[in-house]
Order: sequence, then C-alpha cells, then structure tokens
Amino acid sequence: MTESMIWMAIAIYLSVSVMIAFLSRQKGVESMSGFFLGNRQMNGFVSALSYSATTYSAFMMVGLAGLTYAGGVGALGFEIIYFAGVSLVAIFGPRFWAVGRAFGFVTPSEMLGFRYHSKAVALSMSIASCIFLIPYCAVQLAGVGYLLEGMTNGAISFTSGVLLATAIAILFAYVAGIRSVMWTDSLQALVMIVASTLVALLVIQALGGFGELFDTLAREHPDALTVPGSGLFSLTTFLGLSIPWFFFSLSNPQVSQRLFMPASLSAMRQMLIGFMVFGFVYTLVSILWGFSALTAFPGLERADLATPTLLGSDFIPPLLGVIVMVGILAAAVSTIDSIMLTLASMLSRDVYAHVKSDVSEKRQLLVGKFVVPVIALLALGFAELQLDLIAVLSVAASSGLVAVVPAIIGAFFWQRGTAFGALLSILGTSAFVLTMYATGNALWGLPAGIWGIAVATLLFIGGSLLTTPHAPSRVAFLDAVNDVLAKRR
Amino acid sequence: MARDKWMGAVGVVVVLCYLVPYTLLSNVVAWYGSFLFWSGAGVVVIALNIFMTRPFKEHDRD
Repeated sequence: MTESMIWMAIAIYLSVSVMIAFLSRQKGVESMSGFFLGNRQMNGFVSALSYSATTYSAFMMVGLAGLTYAGGVGALGFEIIYFAGVSLVAIFGPRFWAVGRAFGFVTPSEMLGFRYHSKAVALSMSIASCIFLIPYCAVQLAGVGYLLEGMTNGAISFTSGVLLATAIAILFAYVAGIRSVMWTDSLQALVMIVASTLVALLVIQALGGFGELFDTLAREHPDALTVPGSGLFSLTTFLGLSIPWFFFSLSNPQVSQRLFMPASLSAMRQMLIGFMVFGFVYTLVSILWGFSALTAFPGLERADLATPTLLGSDFIPPLLGVIVMVGILAAAVSTIDSIMLTLASMLSRDVYAHVKSDVSEKRQLLVGKFVVPVIALLALGFAELQLDLIAVLSVAASSGLVAVVPAIIGAFFWQRGTAFGALLSILGTSAFVLTMYATGNALWGLPAGIWGIAVATLLFIGGSLLTTPHAPSRVAFLDAVNDVLAKRR
Repeated sequence: MARDKWMGAVGVVVVLCYLVPYTLLSNVVAWYGSFLFWSGAGVVVIALNIFMTRPFKEHDRD
C-alpha cells in the first residue's frame, strides 16, 4: 500500500461524505433542536447506524483488537457486558423521549436541571461531561494517529493523522449539525461493517480457517482463550473495565442525547435493535482481528499496533486495507463530531444560557457553533500527548461519567431524589474518580471503575435524604412520562 | 410487568457473564469455551431486547 493510494482514498471518502453532508441539509436547522436534535424527526435506520458509528469508534478497531491481542478473550466479555448495558435504552429511551417532547429538552443535563429544579445540576453535569469527554475525543484522535503512522511506516505522521481527523470532524458538524453528522455516520458504518467483516474472513481463511486459528491459539497462546488468562483480565480489572461501560448508554451524553431524536418510539426500537445487531457483528470482527494478529504477528512492540499490522500485511489486498483504514479514520471522526456537538449544545444551553439571563435561542445556537472548534482544539492538544493503550484511557472517561447515572435513574424512578443529592453525586464522584486516577487508581485494591458507581449512588441517596425534593417540577416531569407510558399500555 | 421480566433476564445474563468464564470455563482452552459463551450471551441479549421493545410498535399505532 503506497502513501499516494492512502491519500487518494481519503480524498474519495471526503468528497462522498461532504456530498452526503450537504444533501442531508433541511430547513429549520436555525434552532437549537433543529441543529442539535434534527428537529426530533430522525428515522430509525439512520439513527441505528449513527448510534453505532458514534459508539464504535477508532477504539473498537484499534483499541479492542489491541486489547484482545494483549489480554485475550476477556476483551470479548468486557464488550458483551457493555452491550447488555445498552438494554437500558429499552427502559430509559421512551422516558427521555417523552419528557424531551413535553418540555423541549435539547440536552440530558437540561433534563436533569428541570427535574431537580436546579440550574447548578445542569451546569455541573455539563462541565463534568466536558472534563471526561474531551480526553475521550483525544483517545479517538490518537487512534487515528497510531493507525496512519503504523500503516504507512511513518510516511504519514501521527500529528498529520490527528490534524486531519480534527478538521474533518469540525467540517461535518458545521454543514447541518446533527443531521450531517448522522448521515455521514451512516455511510461510514455501512462501509465499515462490510469491509471489516471481509478483512476478518480473508485473514482467517489465510490462517487456515476458523478451526485452525483457534487450534493455533490453543497451542501457542493458550492464555488468550481463557480469563484471567495471561493476567491482564484479572477479575478486578475486568470488573473495573466493564462496570462503567455497562452504564455507557446513560452516562455518555452523546448517546443519551440520541434518545430525544427519534421521530417515534418505533424509530427508537429500530435504533436499538439495529444498533445491537450491528454492534454484535462489529464486536466479533474486532475480536477476531485481535486473535488473528496474535497468531500471525506474535511479537509486536505495542498491542495497539495489532490492527495496523494486520491491515498492512499480505493477507489483505492493498485496496481493502486502504478502505478499512480510511473507514477507521472515519470511525474516529464519527465519534468526535457527535461528542463535539453534544458538548457544544450543553455548554451553550446549560452553561452560557444559565450564566447570562434572557439568552435567545438564536444566540444559544451561535455560541454552540462557536464552541465546536474550541472543543476540537482541546482534544487535539490531549491527543498530541500520545498516551499508551487506548482502551484503558477511554475507560477512565467512562468511570468519571458514571457520576451522573444515579441522578438519571433517580429522575425517573425515585421521587425522593433532590437537587442537592444530584449535585453532590455528580461533583463528588467526578472529584473522586479524578483523584483515583491521579493517585494510581487503586483504593483497597479496587479501581475507580468499580468504586465510581457505588460512590455516586451513596452520595445521591445520602444527599437527597438530607434535603427536601422540589415537588412541582417532579410532578410535572413524572406526569409527562406517565402520559406516554399509559398510551403504550 | 413483562418488561421488568425481560430486564431481569438481562440482569441474569450479565451476572452469568462474570461468573461462568471465571469459574467453569477458566480451563477450557478452545473456541467452545469463554469465546462461545460470551458470543451466545450477546445473541441472547439481542433477543431479549426484541421482546422487551415490542410495545414500542403498538405505541405508535394508537
């Protein structure tokens, strides 16, 4: 695979995507819900593909394959537990959707602010999300950097890859807000699922078939087929990785905001089931990539190089290798642009509009658009730090975002929840997780991923019991939910 | 309620995803060990979600 071939593929990807982004434009994007929620009219098919593209980023193809390479089959278990956690959408999806329509919420933080009758709750959730998600974006960018550098033997540098992905993400977010993001996501997801499955099949065939692949693993790397295996997936580490990811669909605003967007509950169902089928295939493919790389190239210097090495190998026709590589670049972009939009909507709606009084919808949108590139540049800065083992850092973000989970569950299922409880839980848990990571991530031998949800729950319940809930907002909020659910029965 | 039953089943699958590979399958060095178990769990989760969200369709027809 030559450098010019890679640049050519990137040019084709960009031209097609930009065309799709422009075609996705519609009237009415000049409002907050138009720009950031697609006017709450997104269909199920595009929502499913985009939900997949947003969730499965460069982390999946580079990080998860790398994690499999380094630690074996435990990576699959971790991902399947995340996957089971997405079932929370079946419970919370219709509820988010109902209150979003009833009160015009644009962001999940705005929703919590209303439910607990507290601007401070909305504000703190927005800021906490930024603190954890900007590094998460950086992880995606670094994924692209590693990939391009690895596959071109350094001809395209880490920095060029990172810069390129940032520029494309800003472009897609600007053309038509969430609509252009979701349509370009869909293109990326479709191309990627076909191309990556093809890669897995070709490599496995070249290695002698599925049975031979596993026989070789059993013979040469027996640890890779069991947990704790080589030790990377000790039960403690496994719990620390998987517990925060179980709550991903609620804790990460770039996906929970999606619950406001489907045109109907049928569309939401299509989004959920479509995502699950897609995600399952994608997960198995990534794991098989990791196993294949371990069998064929056992001595790699870093586990994150498993995917680039595989794609650059003789097993894969160069054209397919280039398509998948550009697909991974697009996967990072599709995650980053969604996160940028979500964070921008939170910062303008829940921070700017709360700090300044009487801010018009138009002004909020303007501020939101201004914030998009600022977030991108911050992520770029983090990516340049080049931190090791992508998956682990990305999980640090998930451990921190778990801070909002009890307040979200409580909003719908615990009438006694209060603003003070929510605030204490969000701020206290965020501070706790940051301190844990700063001091070696072990308290009595357990990582922040395990502690986070327990600390957040205790703080939420404790803080709520000490104070009195605001009854009118709670009643209005839960009535709106009940109206929709009653209709469903 | 039916939905709670399905969600309970998801909970059971998750608990088994922690328990079984770390105990019963920790010495099964083959594709039919933890690899097959977790893959099967993924399929079961998809099926449970299909059942769990059936009422979503009826909602729109009202």
